[in-house]
Amino acid sequence: MSTVYAIRAEWTKLRTVVSTPWLLFTAVAVTAGISAMVTNAASNRTCPVPSPCLDDLPKLSLTGAQYGQALVVVLAVLVMSEEYGTRSIGVSLMAVPRRWRLYLSKAAVLTGVVVVIGSLGVLGSLLFARQVLPGTAFSAANGYQGLSLRDEPTLRAVYGTVLYLALVALLSYGVAAMLRDTAGSVATMLILLYVAPILTAVVTDPRWLTRIERVSPMIAGLKIQATTALDSPTIGPWQGLGVLALWAAGALLAGLLSLQLRDA
Amino acid sequence: MTESPPRSGVTIEVRGLRKRYRSTVAVDDLSFTVEPGMVTGFVGPNGAGKSTTMRIILGLDAADEGSALVGGRPYRVLDRPLRTVGALLDAAAVHPGRSARNHLLWLAQSNAIPRRRVDEVLDLAGLATVAKRNVGGFSLGMRQRLGIAAALLGDPAVVIFDEPINGLDIEGIQWIRSLLRSLAGEGRAVLVSSHLMSELEDTADHLLVIGRGRLLADTSVRELVTTASGDRVAVRTGMRTEAMTTLANAGALATITDGETVTVSGLPVEHVIELLTRDGVAFTGVSAHRASLEEAYMELTRDAVEFGAAAGREG
Repeated sequence: MSTVYAIRAEWTKLRTVVSTPWLLFTAVAVTAGISAMVTNAASNRTCPVPSPCLDDLPKLSLTGAQYGQALVVVLAVLVMSEEYGTRSIGVSLMAVPRRWRLYLSKAAVLTGVVVVIGSLGVLGSLLFARQVLPGTAFSAANGYQGLSLRDEPTLRAVYGTVLYLALVALLSYGVAAMLRDTAGSVATMLILLYVAPILTAVVTDPRWLTRIERVSPMIAGLKIQATTALDSPTIGPWQGLGVLALWAAGALLAGLLSLQLRDA
Repeated sequence: MTESPPRSGVTIEVRGLRKRYRSTVAVDDLSFTVEPGMVTGFVGPNGAGKSTTMRIILGLDAADEGSALVGGRPYRVLDRPLRTVGALLDAAAVHPGRSARNHLLWLAQSNAIPRRRVDEVLDLAGLATVAKRNVGGFSLGMRQRLGIAAALLGDPAVVIFDEPINGLDIEGIQWIRSLLRSLAGEGRAVLVSSHLMSELEDTADHLLVIGRGRLLADTSVRELVTTASGDRVAVRTGMRTEAMTTLANAGALATITDGETVTVSGLPVEHVIELLTRDGVAFTGVSAHRASLEEAYMELTRDAVEFGAAAGREG
């Protein structure tokens, strides 16, 4: 029961600071907005039939998640680092002195919120693509199926992206619990996520490319959006998300140990 | 709902507490008991270890050695601890972007405290009219009041305030003094720290004096004054040199403290009068010296203050 009370308190904490609604709105807007822009740009292409321009429409239509995740990172970091920034961690631990309970309550509320905004962003992206694509080169006449949640790989890409965002949030949260600092945690997370895609653009050795794609939380994690070329030699969708899950689990555990063992 | 914990009769027991931060010993073999039904003043210079001790009692910092128990249990295992212990350590440690009411609301929710208590303590602390304003716009005095409201939210049997008078105006100081008295009067254990003895002089029943992490005195206010006064006698006389000679010959330690006064220690008043009369030393007054609480405190903490000035660390 005490954990239920702690979760309720954490929800109140999160919703009663002015920055939260703004962050949540921006995260959804960036995810759906950038997805829409990318989809729209692709839809202007003319494709010589029957050769397809682009195979993976679900993945294309969910591109915004790669940018929306930056706001998820900020939200997740703030949930923990603000406690240290404002020194209110002392008050929180006086109210909930069992530290694992405070830690899990915050994580639960964060995960719930990210699942909701992730779903809104992802479904918004998909709806836009469904409206726009049929009138373009990616029409049924050219051999493209309309995007549908009844299509199993598309459905997996959609809820997989929501899971991806939730795992990125938990990873960021764990990092913030270790570092106890907003700027440092956000910087660490942005480097961890966005450096690998830059590296893959400059590294030419195929063995290294494969290695980077297999360990990068962003590249491996986003394989969950793939609906074509599923027999990719690097890493499959669920294995890829599994890599991100390992990152998140490691960070969560390290954050919990830091909270349990260090002075507040 | 579980049964409400008792509102009185709970003690804080600190035994052999030791805490070191890197090379600094913050708390050094500290033992004391805070009894219910009285205000216990926790005094010592800045950096003496008061805040560290409080943080250890509240489970925020871990002791290297020793134990700190509230009602016989470590704080970290208390279920819904705000119903047993209310504490204010750092009034500024509140999220500035949240309203006073919402700050108290989440605290209440975390310990299953009824929502109506939020409005009760807002009234009690005189914050009802600013309850919806963000804490970021609060003065230090208003934040102190909010912190005290938060501490009283769970109607706790034990109250711990770290320097609660800091930043308060005269009205606020009077408010907090009468609050401390009434909390103790209701049978609660009240531990309140200050680096200024004068702040607690009229409020505390019992004193814990701490310096350099060590307990220098664990005593009632009256005893402390008596001890510090020693058996010193002040003699007012125009014949200082003669008085000094007479008293020194009798084996007493005499010093000239100002133009007309010689202070004697080691002899009772009657004996001093007898000696001076015998040797024909005229005097205009003889009185037992009575130290102020402030003097007693200065005496006790002199070494610790010197240390504090050289290597001051807020503690």
